[in-house]
Amino acid sequence: MIVQTALLIGLVLFSVLAVFLKDLIRAAISLAVASLLLGIIFFRLGASYAGVFEISVVAGLITVLFILTIALTNKAEEVRESRLANVIFPLFFVVFIAIDALVMKGLLQKIPALPSGPESGTFGEVLWKGRTLDLVGQIAVILAGVFSVLALFRKRDKHD
Amino acid sequence: MIILFVALPLVVAGILPLVGRISRRFLPDLLANAALLFMFVYAVAAGRPLIANGPVLQQLNWLGESVNLRLALDGFSLLMLMAIALVGLCVGLFSIDYMEHYGAKANYYALFLVMIAGMNGLVLATDLFNIYIFLEVAAVASYSLVAFGLGQDELEAAFKYLMLSVVGSAAIVVSIAVIFGMTGSVSFGAVAKGLQELNAGPVVGIAAALFIMGFGLKAALIPFHAWLPDAHPSAPAPISAVLSGLLIKVSGVYAMTRIFLNVFGLTPALSTVLMYLGTVSLVVAAFLAIGQRDIKRMLAYSSISQVGYIVLGIGLGTPLGIAGGLFHLFNHALAKGLLFLTTGSVQQATGTRNLDEMGGLAKRMPFTATANLIGSLSIAGVPPLNGFWSKLIIIIALVQAGHPVFAVVAVLASVLTLWYYLIMQRKAFFGILNEKWAAVKEAPFWMTASTVLLALLCVAVGVFFSAMIKTWIQPAAGVLGDGVQTVIRSWGL
Repeated sequence: MIVQTALLIGLVLFSVLAVFLKDLIRAAISLAVASLLLGIIFFRLGASYAGVFEISVVAGLITVLFILTIALTNKAEEVRESRLANVIFPLFFVVFIAIDALVMKGLLQKIPALPSGPESGTFGEVLWKGRTLDLVGQIAVILAGVFSVLALFRKRDKHD
Repeated sequence: MIILFVALPLVVAGILPLVGRISRRFLPDLLANAALLFMFVYAVAAGRPLIANGPVLQQLNWLGESVNLRLALDGFSLLMLMAIALVGLCVGLFSIDYMEHYGAKANYYALFLVMIAGMNGLVLATDLFNIYIFLEVAAVASYSLVAFGLGQDELEAAFKYLMLSVVGSAAIVVSIAVIFGMTGSVSFGAVAKGLQELNAGPVVGIAAALFIMGFGLKAALIPFHAWLPDAHPSAPAPISAVLSGLLIKVSGVYAMTRIFLNVFGLTPALSTVLMYLGTVSLVVAAFLAIGQRDIKRMLAYSSISQVGYIVLGIGLGTPLGIAGGLFHLFNHALAKGLLFLTTGSVQQATGTRNLDEMGGLAKRMPFTATANLIGSLSIAGVPPLNGFWSKLIIIIALVQAGHPVFAVVAVLASVLTLWYYLIMQRKAFFGILNEKWAAVKEAPFWMTASTVLLALLCVAVGVFFSAMIKTWIQPAAGVLGDGVQTVIRSWGL
C-alpha cells in the first residue's frame, strides 16, 4: 500500500513537472519518469503487457524521439506565457486532490459489480480474437498519424 | 459485407499517397470520389434490403476461421451511413476544384477518407471501446485537416481543438472504465443487461455525466463548445462542411444517443438533462451567431444551435421527438454542408470571410447565392424546405409531451435563426455590389455542381418529406424507441 501510494504520488509529481518545466529536455525526461512509474504500477496491478508497452514505447521510444527532435531544433526566443496558469493550475490541483481524498475511496467501494467478473482469456486471445475491430481502428489511427505528418510537414513545391 | 464501409475508405486512403506520385490531381480526385460514390450507392441500394428483417450482426470469416470483427447495422446506423456517404460525396466533389491551391491533394483525400472510415466504424460499432477507438480515428484525421492550410490561424485552431477534444476523450474513457468495472464487459448487449441486473443508479449517473461531458464536447453542446467556433471556420471549406455537417453529429450526437437510449435506457432524469442542455445550446448559440462578422464563424455558432434542436428532440424520448431529432440531424447535415461549401466558394472568389466587406455577390455568383439562400432558409425552418418539417415535428412532439415552454423557446430560437441568416443574406449576397467584387466570377464547375446538388436535395427532402420519414427516419427512430431491448434482444449476447 505504501509503495503503491508512493508510486502514485511520484507519477502525479513528474506529470506536473513535465507540464511546468521550461527546459524541454527536462520536461521530456520528467514525462519519461512518469510513464516509467505508471509502467511499474501496471506491473504491480497484474497488467504486465500494459506495463511492458508503457515502459518500452512511452518511456523509451517516445522519449528518444522527443530528445532527438529537441536536439535537432534551434532554441527559439522564450515565449511569454500567461501567469494565470501558474496560479489556476495549483489551485485546481489542490481542490482536485482534496475531493479525491474525501470522496473517491468511499465512491469506489460503492460501485457495484456483477459477480461474473470481467470477460477473461489470455492476452493473445483477447487481443486477436476479442478485440479484432479495435486492431482495425488502430491501423486507421496509425494511417491518420502518418498522413498527418505528411500533410503538416509538407513542402509546397512548384507544381502546387 | 458491412465491413466494406470501414475497409474500403481505409484501403483507398492507404494507396492514395502512392497514386499521388503518379498523378497529382486526376487519379486522387477520381479514386476518392469513386469510393465515396460506391459507399453512397451501397448504403442506399443494399442497406435497406439488408435490414428488412431486423438488425444485421456481422461476424466475419477469414480463411475459414471466424474472426471476431463484430459489426451491427440497423435503421439508425444505416441512416447515419447514408448521411455520411452523401455529404462526404458532395464534399469530395467540391474538393476537386477547391483543394487545387492547397496542394498535396492525394494526402488530403487520404486523411479525409480515414476520417470517413472512422465515422463509419463508429456508427457500426457494437461495443463501447470500439466507439472510443473509431472516435479517435475520425478525430486524429480531423485535427490535421483543420490545420491543412498550415497558416497561423489554422494551426492555433487545430491545437485548441486537439486539447479540448482529448479532454472529452478522457472523460469518455473514464466512463467506459467505470462501466467495465461494474459489468465486466464493454459490449452493448452485455452492458445493457448487466446494468439492468445491477440497478446501480448513482454510479450509472456518474458514468452518464462523464459521457455527457465527453460526447457533449465532441458535439460542441454549450457549455462544452469553446473549440468549435475556432476550429470550424479555420479549416478548409470542405472540411468545415464535414466537421459541422457530420463529425459533431456522429462522434457527439450519434454516440451519445446510441449509448443513452440503447444501452443505459433513457431515464426521466437523463431526459431532462439532455433537454435542458439542448435548449441552452440552441438559444445561447443563436444569440452568439447574431453578432458575428465572420461568415464561417456565424455558421459555426449556428451548428451549435442546431445540434441543440437535435439533442432537445432526441432527449425528449418520445417516438415523435426522436423522429424529429433524427430528421433534423439529417437535414442539418445537408443544409450546413451546403452553407459551408457555398461560403467556401465565396471565400475563394473574394478572399475574405468578413460579411461587412461583401455585398451584392448574388449578381456575380448566382448559383452559389441561390444555393446559399436555400440552405439558409432550410436551417431557419422556412416551409416547404426540409428544415421546416424537422423543426415542426420536434415542436409538435414537445407540445404533445406536455412541454409547451420548451416548444415556445424552440419557436423563438427559430426566429432568431431566421434573423441571423437574413443578416448574412443581406450583407453577403444582396444589396449593392461592392466595387471590389466587380471582377468576381461564379465558382468553378465541381464546386457549383456539388452545392447545387445539395440545394436540390434540401428542396427534394422538403417536398417529399413523408417518403423520407417513412423509409429512412422511422426505422431509425424505431431502433431508438425500443430502448435497451434493441441491443439485448436483437444484437444477442
